[in-house]
Amino acid sequence: MIIVILKDIAFLSMISVSLAIIMVIAQKWLSNYGECKIDINGKREITVIGGNSLLSSLSDKQIFLPSACGGRGTCGACKCKVISGGGPLLPTEKPVLTAEEIAAGDIRLSCQVKVKSDIKIEIPSSIFNIRRYHAVITEIIDYTYDTKGITFKLDEGEKIDFLAGQYVQIDTLPYASVKQKVSRAYSISSKPEINDALQLIIRYVPEGICTTWVHQFLKVGDHVSLTGPYGDFFLRDTEADIIYVAGGSGKAPIKSMLEHLQVVGTNRKMTYFFGARTPKDLYLTDEMKALEKVFPDFKYEPVLSASVASDNWTGKTGFLMPYFAEAIRDPKNTEAYLCGSPGMISAVTKSLIEHGIPKDKIYYDSFG
Amino acid sequence: MKETTKEQRTRARMMPGAITLSGFLGKDKRTLNAIISADEQELEKLGKTAEELADRMFYFTDASFSTYDGTITVDEYYIVETEVTRGKLPCPYAHGGIFRKAITKLTNTKNNTSVTWSFLNIHLIKDHHFFEGKGSTFRLEPAKLVETLY
Repeated sequence: MIIVILKDIAFLSMISVSLAIIMVIAQKWLSNYGECKIDINGKREITVIGGNSLLSSLSDKQIFLPSACGGRGTCGACKCKVISGGGPLLPTEKPVLTAEEIAAGDIRLSCQVKVKSDIKIEIPSSIFNIRRYHAVITEIIDYTYDTKGITFKLDEGEKIDFLAGQYVQIDTLPYASVKQKVSRAYSISSKPEINDALQLIIRYVPEGICTTWVHQFLKVGDHVSLTGPYGDFFLRDTEADIIYVAGGSGKAPIKSMLEHLQVVGTNRKMTYFFGARTPKDLYLTDEMKALEKVFPDFKYEPVLSASVASDNWTGKTGFLMPYFAEAIRDPKNTEAYLCGSPGMISAVTKSLIEHGIPKDKIYYDSFG
Repeated sequence: MKETTKEQRTRARMMPGAITLSGFLGKDKRTLNAIISADEQELEKLGKTAEELADRMFYFTDASFSTYDGTITVDEYYIVETEVTRGKLPCPYAHGGIFRKAITKLTNTKNNTSVTWSFLNIHLIKDHHFFEGKGSTFRLEPAKLVETLY
């Protein structure tokens, strides 16, 4: 009886192993897509081995589409236009596409589209400027109880070409219980004229995988990698007056813009409103105030929304919006650069439009 | 009851370091179904449904989300503070849902209770009846939630 049972087990095991081998061989044969060509903007063609995602196929060729979720299909940052060869829209793409994008049919998530045949795509030409950089941490400054300034010195010979206001994505290293790397986006806070190093301002987010790594594990001398520059939030080269509005770590891109203007020089009338809740949320105040002596027409206005008497705060209080009127002299010739939470951006944008600033001259980064 | 492969994958995404630093389960060793069933039974005793609670949570979060500094008093007794940070989180059930990183603290001044939830919590309760495992950072005890929301 026992021998019969053992024979049956051995027989079933043999069948299972055989089936597994057949499946492995079949998968290798069936998923062998060979070499595929990716036509980019009808101007450039790259050859890749098929079977991988469009996002990773491009990054293997040093073409970096933005991606904040590491290719999990959750952030939507890697959207691009797929003209042909992308196959049908996948259920995993729909949640992060707008109704218009789904209707158009050619906007796809590059992390979800598999390259299985020749494929034709369109991406912004600025993407070609995005590269991967390797850097060493040279300075970590505590700006507030929950905000740090981190300086990255790029490896020998590496230089980054970016516009003031743009951002990079840094890759975390495994730490504690976090076994896989994640990529997160942060605005560059240093000026573009320094192209062999850059500074980021990073605020601690409870439970945040990347910010916990930055605040509790990252140290001077650590080696990290990052990609960039990304983003269309950058200083426009005009002569218009400027209203800057920032809150929290939203100070980073504005700092980059001001430091850049300090280098190139400007006569533009500029007012910078920095919104915070309490005095302990303020930072770089002296540095920003010092710029009032550098520029011919610049004012830095920190405004506290939750200050109490014991703070002994003598500056502006409440919301920022009531103070706009005194800063705007010619609304049609004024640009606004906003970086902060969606609530702040929404309230400020509404107010600026009411003051007559054209909607298309209000540029913002709402922590998306 | 043994977990299916799909549930095991979901559980893996709920572990520390996958989506959030501390994960969604805390020290809870029960299966997802067991966690959800126990909370559903407690909700029944409380006379509420997960959908009702999630809708009420969204009501408060939505009211504060678009305010200048995320703080607002709602319906006279409820102080709502929502802080939004950069980025988004996927649902661990991996159906494609993504949610802004926003944390809401609700204080009920009638009974001096307060609870804190994330945008993702609202979705997890409404669509998955999942209040997170015992000991998890964003675990919401149904009784405490009901006490504060109403």
